[in-house]
Amino acid sequence: MKALLYLILGIFFGTILIASQAFHWNRINEMFHFESFHMFGLLGSAIATGALGVWIIKRFKLPSISGKPLAPKRKPLQPVGNSVGGLFFGLGWGITGACTAPLFIVAGLNWQIGLVCLGGALLGTLIFGLLKNKLPL
Amino acid sequence: MEPLAWYIAGPLIGITVPVLLVLSEKQLGVSSSFRALGAFILPKVEYFNYDRRKDVWQLYFVLGILTASLILFNFTEIGLPPEKNASGQDFFQAYDVAYLPAFLIGAIFIGFGARYANGCTAGHCIMGNSQFAKSSILTTVFFFVGGLVATHFIVPFIFTT
Repeated sequence: MKALLYLILGIFFGTILIASQAFHWNRINEMFHFESFHMFGLLGSAIATGALGVWIIKRFKLPSISGKPLAPKRKPLQPVGNSVGGLFFGLGWGITGACTAPLFIVAGLNWQIGLVCLGGALLGTLIFGLLKNKLPL
Repeated sequence: MEPLAWYIAGPLIGITVPVLLVLSEKQLGVSSSFRALGAFILPKVEYFNYDRRKDVWQLYFVLGILTASLILFNFTEIGLPPEKNASGQDFFQAYDVAYLPAFLIGAIFIGFGARYANGCTAGHCIMGNSQFAKSSILTTVFFFVGGLVATHFIVPFIFTT
């Protein structure tokens, strides 16, 4: 049943990324040229909304729907990984005009480009897994 | 079509963070779905030999994203930008098979970088920044540095008409 919940939330998340065109190469290109406020407003208000949600959960010690206490963890600071990995990711973001979730959206728009994008991202993940022990964090 | 306004779309994306937490104690993330896939392909490699059950939910999540795109692009005009930009020039058409090599290399960078940085735009930029995590703020800065470098110094040489 949980699987269905994630599927529905994914459909919702994808629909918003599509309707707002945030997945689109032109919108990302526009953002990195500072030609439009659209993407900055979108990311900024998404973070603000997420932060408000996390704050409310922590402030009122809200449990999950199944009654478990919620204590979202921060990702650990890994200065080299965060910066070098972030740089690689950013280069890919600028070139493909998509981050990870939008790669799945591009697959629905143009299956050839989408397949290459998803295959490439998987290949990049496998390369990281093979090199992990040699890379500093 | 005009895009859904940022002040509607942004909060709807952000609300996914508390909704996922409250409904199933999950922290928003997308790129770990590729680690979970890697666990099927290279199960003997240390990095992929892990408890993938904590990431498998993201496979259903991305399947949902793919489903949304297949439905909307096949049956509606939603998501497709107008032919011309705000200043009346034709939008550049990047989704052309002529640029497949660029998409391949860019996507490899995304897959590698997301794992090395321990998260992508969803996990760091939205979830992590919502928690004011130092790691996520640092990563977001470098996402933008990389994006700016690519857009201004790489894209003009690859995506030519």
